[in-house]
Amino acid sequence: MSEPPKERVKYIDTNLNLPYHYYAGDYKALYLRALRDKKILGSRCSKTGKVFVPPVIASPESLAPCDELVELPHRGIVTTFCVVNVPVIGREIEIPYVVASVALDGADVSLYSLIQECAAADVRMGTRVEAVWKPDGERQGDHTDIRYFRPTGEPDAPFESFIHRL
Amino acid sequence: MKRPVAVVGVGQTHHTSKRVDVNVAEMVREAVDRALLDAGLEHDDIDAIVLGKAPDPLEGIMQPEQYLAGALGAHLKPIIRVHTAGSVGCTTALTAATHVASGLYGRILTIAFEKQSEGNAMWALSPNYAFTQPMVAGAGGFFAPYCRAYIARSGAPGHIGAVVAANARENAGRNEYAHLRDPMTVEEALNSMMLWEPIRFLETCPSSDGAIALVMANEDNARRGPRKPAWLKAGATFTEPMYVPGRDQVSPLAGRTCAKWVYDKAGIRDPWNEIQVAEIYVPFSWYEPMWLENLGFAPLNEGWKVVDRGDQKMGRHLPINPSGGVLNTNPIGASGMLRFGEAALQVMGRAGEHQVGGVKTALGHAYGGGAQYFSIGILAAEL
Amino acid sequence: MTKLRNVAVVGFAQAPIVAADEHHTGPEMLYPVVQAALESAGLERSDVDYQCAGSSDYVDGRAFSFSQVLEVMGAWPPVQDSHVEMDAIWAAHLVWVKMQAGETEVAIVCGFGKTSEGSPAHVLNLQLEPFYAAAIGLDAASTAALQASAYMARSGADDRALAEIASKNRAAGAKNPDGQLREAATPEQLMATPWAVKPLREGYLAPIGETATCMVLAVEGRAEKICDRPAWIQGVDHRIELQALGARDLARSESTTLAARNAFEMAGLASASAADVVELGSTNPAEELILREALGLPASARAQGGPAINPSGSAQCANPLMNTGLLRLAEGFRQLSGRAGERGVPGAKRAVVHASAGHGLQQNIVWVLGTERRWS
Repeated sequence: MSEPPKERVKYIDTNLNLPYHYYAGDYKALYLRALRDKKILGSRCSKTGKVFVPPVIASPESLAPCDELVELPHRGIVTTFCVVNVPVIGREIEIPYVVASVALDGADVSLYSLIQECAAADVRMGTRVEAVWKPDGERQGDHTDIRYFRPTGEPDAPFESFIHRL
Repeated sequence: MKRPVAVVGVGQTHHTSKRVDVNVAEMVREAVDRALLDAGLEHDDIDAIVLGKAPDPLEGIMQPEQYLAGALGAHLKPIIRVHTAGSVGCTTALTAATHVASGLYGRILTIAFEKQSEGNAMWALSPNYAFTQPMVAGAGGFFAPYCRAYIARSGAPGHIGAVVAANARENAGRNEYAHLRDPMTVEEALNSMMLWEPIRFLETCPSSDGAIALVMANEDNARRGPRKPAWLKAGATFTEPMYVPGRDQVSPLAGRTCAKWVYDKAGIRDPWNEIQVAEIYVPFSWYEPMWLENLGFAPLNEGWKVVDRGDQKMGRHLPINPSGGVLNTNPIGASGMLRFGEAALQVMGRAGEHQVGGVKTALGHAYGGGAQYFSIGILAAEL
Repeated sequence: MTKLRNVAVVGFAQAPIVAADEHHTGPEMLYPVVQAALESAGLERSDVDYQCAGSSDYVDGRAFSFSQVLEVMGAWPPVQDSHVEMDAIWAAHLVWVKMQAGETEVAIVCGFGKTSEGSPAHVLNLQLEPFYAAAIGLDAASTAALQASAYMARSGADDRALAEIASKNRAAGAKNPDGQLREAATPEQLMATPWAVKPLREGYLAPIGETATCMVLAVEGRAEKICDRPAWIQGVDHRIELQALGARDLARSESTTLAARNAFEMAGLASASAADVVELGSTNPAEELILREALGLPASARAQGGPAINPSGSAQCANPLMNTGLLRLAEGFRQLSGRAGERGVPGAKRAVVHASAGHGLQQNIVWVLGTERRWS
């Protein structure tokens, strides 16, 4: 949004403040409740066996129901990422920071997450990472319960293992 | 097309960061009047109207075609409103074409616009829902990881993005309607701030205010018009979901499928040699080599070599975005129709200073969403 | 009239219309509906060659809301697809146009709108011209009341006339298992309800609800194999008017009259009175009276004979935004294809279907459906 014109009669200001409460839906609420308990749930496709996280009720690939919930490890790999140098409205975070596509071990789609506790220059495609959680008692059951992921120091995953599943 | 469809009038506004001299209705009307004048027609000649734009929160008006009915000359006419994310401008033009091809409508007015200065695009495009994956870094932050993956996959050297940006700017300098026209070198692009690594500031599209309108007509009306029409040989939209395991976000299957479809329908077997100019949707410079591959102009992982050779420049084998493209003009909802309209101007031979020589066939392209929505039109000088 | 391609509605499914489904997201509501619509038509997703959704970013409170439902509509491998920022009945119209253009043979149309997550009164205000109309806080009930006043002043219709229309719809809605408001009410009961915005009473206004819908359309050659009793599209047209409430005659619906004339001419239907069923998209009784006049139908709930008007209870008994119009077309299909259950109009052969968008009936679409093909 840019600055308004100088002359007052040439514009009107409006602040559209519309209230919404977005329903998670009962299925995704299970996932959010699990985050509070420091667990990451995915759902498994009844046709292909592929695992989605956050859980979805049906696979967009096969359209079959994904009615089996599975608990996923808190570790995975950075498949790709960017280094952000622009401040984002509504977020207090030191720049530059890394936003990465993180493929959890055992999941077939990736999560978007921050990578912290390392220099931006030390993040690579293939870096192995683990979740860093909010402390017990502070988790509310939302996506911020996982504060970010951090490198584990293990050897990188081979390029071919993830380049076609960003 | 079941029945021949042609673009017979093109009108656009001068695009800029803020049009404080006009409101939304007046800005849209400016493009509409120019398109009708170009086609030698008046509102009474129009049978129906197809309007496209990106999300309503960009201006804060819900379904603005209702409010704009007067400005569009739509009173007592059919009007529909298309919204398919960033691809919407091209999809809107193709929807207008479908109306003509149906035989039900002889002349359609189609419009796409965005007045980004009146709202907050970063807010409108990056809402944060606690239970979905937060898109923490705006559109650039969303697409930058895929540009990185492209670079890693293809081995493209780091300067390619800057070369694309500088060439696009040089082209925009020849387009009087373009938003950003000041000269810019490859070095300046390389030295500009890294916003979302690997995307630099000067490799990024601006936010623009602007509108474009087209008049599309059936064969009878097209042949009676004052100008040489641009014939639509083929057009299609293909879409895919976001969360398909193993989805290729770098070269999405929907884009490849859409390209193959329109080439088949247009009888094109070798797009690199049978198309003389392409206007493709490149909001971040790395998307130029990525789409060159996705559109079949270059083999997989070799799109950057086209750029490195300079074969995409004016006067070379396949000029890409002679208008300067989205990198220099981005009224979001209108950007796709600008690609389609510029392709039409090229086959009409009326692109002015940025006209490419000897254009028989041109391609207009747009994409949107998380690289999920693809829309392509093939325009030709002869039916 | 030129010969057009015969196209039919061949399948439909919907989620229950409720005030709020707090258990499901919009896409989760739509997923079983798409599955049910395909199953009712005996189709695999791969038999469908085009899809189009109708929804609103402001209703759902998020940009690109329609992209969510790609995940459940069946868009893999990639499909030909579009979306209109309109009630899904306009998506159905676009599909019909595409079928005339020879670009699709079997298509699905989906509607959704998660109205309970936001504040529809505030949201619909944003449809209005921003400087004068939206800025003074008009909502849909207020503009509807302005229209009702204009109509009552011109026609002489009184509060009782409105109550009788509303009561008739409520009685019909009580028999519609897919309705939202399912309690019959007498005119006297409705006239005892407080003013919502005078001259409209709370008992006259449609409840805003939410649902998800999926319709299957197919061209001749495919339609009769998919559906035992297809509802053939015999005519359709839609028209818009100026939005400004002072720039048009609010007491009339000129766009409905024009759209109906064109649709009837296409269908070879003499008038709406010649149909067996009329289903209107009116969300209050004053709108219904204006539409009845525009369509040449009797101006009283007590009129005898003629077509059955609003057998579903009409939009007055359920107004799930972005789906309300498509539900009218669905009612036409259900009535002609023997799928309307107890409220089925015996022997119905032709249905006139109407839907509206915008404030004060700004934009209107009129369809004629029939049990027979129009063109041979």
